[in-house]
Amino acid sequence: MQNVTLACFGLSYLLALLLELARLKWPKPGLRTTGLILGGAGLFAHSWFLAVHQPSPATAYGALLAVAWVLGIFYLYGSLHHAKRAWAIFVLPFVLALVGLAFVLVSTDADAQSFALESGQRFWGAAHGILILLASVGVCVGAIASVMYLIQARRLRKKLNPLGGVKMLSLERLESMNRRAINAAFPLLSVGLLIGVLLLKSENVITPDWFSLKVLGTVGIWIVFLVLLYMRYAVHLPGRRLAMLTIFSLVLVVAVLIADHSFARRGESP
Amino acid sequence: MNLRVIGCNFRTAAVELREKLAFDDAKRERALLELSARYGCECVLLSTCNRVELTVAGGGEDFPFDTAMAAEFLGEIHGLYAADIRPLLYEHAKEAGVKHLARVTGSLDSLIVGEGQIAGQVKDAFEAARRLGTTGPLLNTLFHHTLRVAKRIRTETGIASGHVSVSSVAVDYVKQVFDTFHDKTVLIIGAGKMARLTLKHLQSLKPRQILVTNRSLSKAIEVADACGGMPVPWQELDDALAKADIALSTTGAPEPIMPRKRFVEKVQPKRHMGTLVVLDIAVPRDFDPAIHDGDRVCLFNIDDLMRIREQTIAQRQKYLAPAEAIVNAEVKKFTDEWNRRKSGPMIQQLRQEVDKVRAAVLEPLLGKLNGKLTPAEKESIEAAFRLFQNKLLHGPISALNDAGIEGESRRMLEAVQKLFGLKG
Repeated sequence: MQNVTLACFGLSYLLALLLELARLKWPKPGLRTTGLILGGAGLFAHSWFLAVHQPSPATAYGALLAVAWVLGIFYLYGSLHHAKRAWAIFVLPFVLALVGLAFVLVSTDADAQSFALESGQRFWGAAHGILILLASVGVCVGAIASVMYLIQARRLRKKLNPLGGVKMLSLERLESMNRRAINAAFPLLSVGLLIGVLLLKSENVITPDWFSLKVLGTVGIWIVFLVLLYMRYAVHLPGRRLAMLTIFSLVLVVAVLIADHSFARRGESP
Repeated sequence: MNLRVIGCNFRTAAVELREKLAFDDAKRERALLELSARYGCECVLLSTCNRVELTVAGGGEDFPFDTAMAAEFLGEIHGLYAADIRPLLYEHAKEAGVKHLARVTGSLDSLIVGEGQIAGQVKDAFEAARRLGTTGPLLNTLFHHTLRVAKRIRTETGIASGHVSVSSVAVDYVKQVFDTFHDKTVLIIGAGKMARLTLKHLQSLKPRQILVTNRSLSKAIEVADACGGMPVPWQELDDALAKADIALSTTGAPEPIMPRKRFVEKVQPKRHMGTLVVLDIAVPRDFDPAIHDGDRVCLFNIDDLMRIREQTIAQRQKYLAPAEAIVNAEVKKFTDEWNRRKSGPMIQQLRQEVDKVRAAVLEPLLGKLNGKLTPAEKESIEAAFRLFQNKLLHGPISALNDAGIEGESRRMLEAVQKLFGLKG
């Protein structure tokens, strides 16, 4: 089991996605079962990989894999819970994209980054990292719901056959999923960001960089979230625009996850 | 198999005549008992808005019941001239009757192919006849088989997929927008027949509140009372629309009651959250189609709903060929099994008789050879006699089975009976 690699679970997720796509054309129950088994196997291998290699979530590589892992659970839960909906078709591409990005980044920074925090600040560093990661998961869930929302809204706009094509959740359900994800992610991001700022301000941090992409991006996401909440609750922006704004925030989140960490420096031990 | 299906349907008879030929429960009961007593046959009577069919069976090979007699019988029951009914009737006999029943029950012969009601109506007709004791071995077996065929058609082909009533399609659209209905408000605009029909479907979703508005408040009160809703004066239409999640509009207004300008200026600003689904089934249309954006407002008018209905019907046509293949295979299976069942007792008797002959020849022979044969040799001789018997009977038994399939079973049964000296 030590030989489980990123390609193992990446391919499992990919095959599960291909089977789900095939099910759109040939709706056989066997395809769904096989897809679920492959997806489940992928998630198991993914979990095993994270447990064995323990990539640091503070690195882009580790963070992407951790977020992909939570989305993997989200995929499996949703596929079982919404058996008649094309759940996997929307969630698995996100999982695959994150795993793919991690695959690209593996050789560049997975093993190189370490953290410049004093041991006393490790706890707050971990809390900052976990909160930001959970907020990222929230944004991903919101973005998945937004993509589905846009497709469903397009189908309604075009007045397509309600029982034809890909089976999806209702607009109301998707809007609620998006809203809950953002509502949950915002406080997590705010607290995570606040801890990060305090850590950066503390004298013990070596080479604080207030203008790094990571810091600016995180502040940017926070502002986008604020705008999102304002637009939703004060301006009552239509769901379609909120969905687009959520997808934009996902792009920012991915950029932030990939960016170098301000607490990290290359080639030095903690 | 002496089976006949005689009747008329939407293709052969106009609705006025079908109405006159329709049976209520009491009339059907009387007809079944009368038919069964008069002709000594098994019978089932199917009466729906699209067809009236008599399925009769039994009474021997020369059972006389035909289209002319059916016309006379129906005329007698309904007080009509047989001559007026006779040209409307079709007749399907024997295997064709089995096939016709399967096609009817599987909804392949329906006005809207794939509609789900007919199988239930056939089942009801059969149950009613069974309770009265007018069914027998053939119709009991046939109707059970036919209902199984209909189920196969529904589950193995997509012929029953989608909805074909305008109201059902409207509800399908509503379900694309909303997930829960216990917190939703439905607004009914107008009090026409279509409103009441679609409202029935919407009521099944159990909305929190139903508001009813109409130019005539008394009509709005009448509809509201019938559906447990709340009447709203016509002047408050804009406010009611602002509160509503689903609006069902069926007025007879000659001009749109909700032009885009009015909606944008008077309704939209009052709406804060959520999508409004407008089901505009009025002709001419009540709502300006320009208010539809698929996000804040989803507007579906009668043309949209009819288009989906037509699409579904067209889609179902694709499944006709596989459904017909199921019918053909099942009809063959049924007729083969039925005919085998008919010649079964004769085949059994033939085997028993030849068994007796074999034993009568073999026993003295083995007696003569007693002590000269080893057990293995004795067994070989017995096996050879059994083989000889099987080869001898293979021809007659196959002929009996085949004759059954080809409908010549009676002559063949008589021939085998005579040739082998069997009792009838």
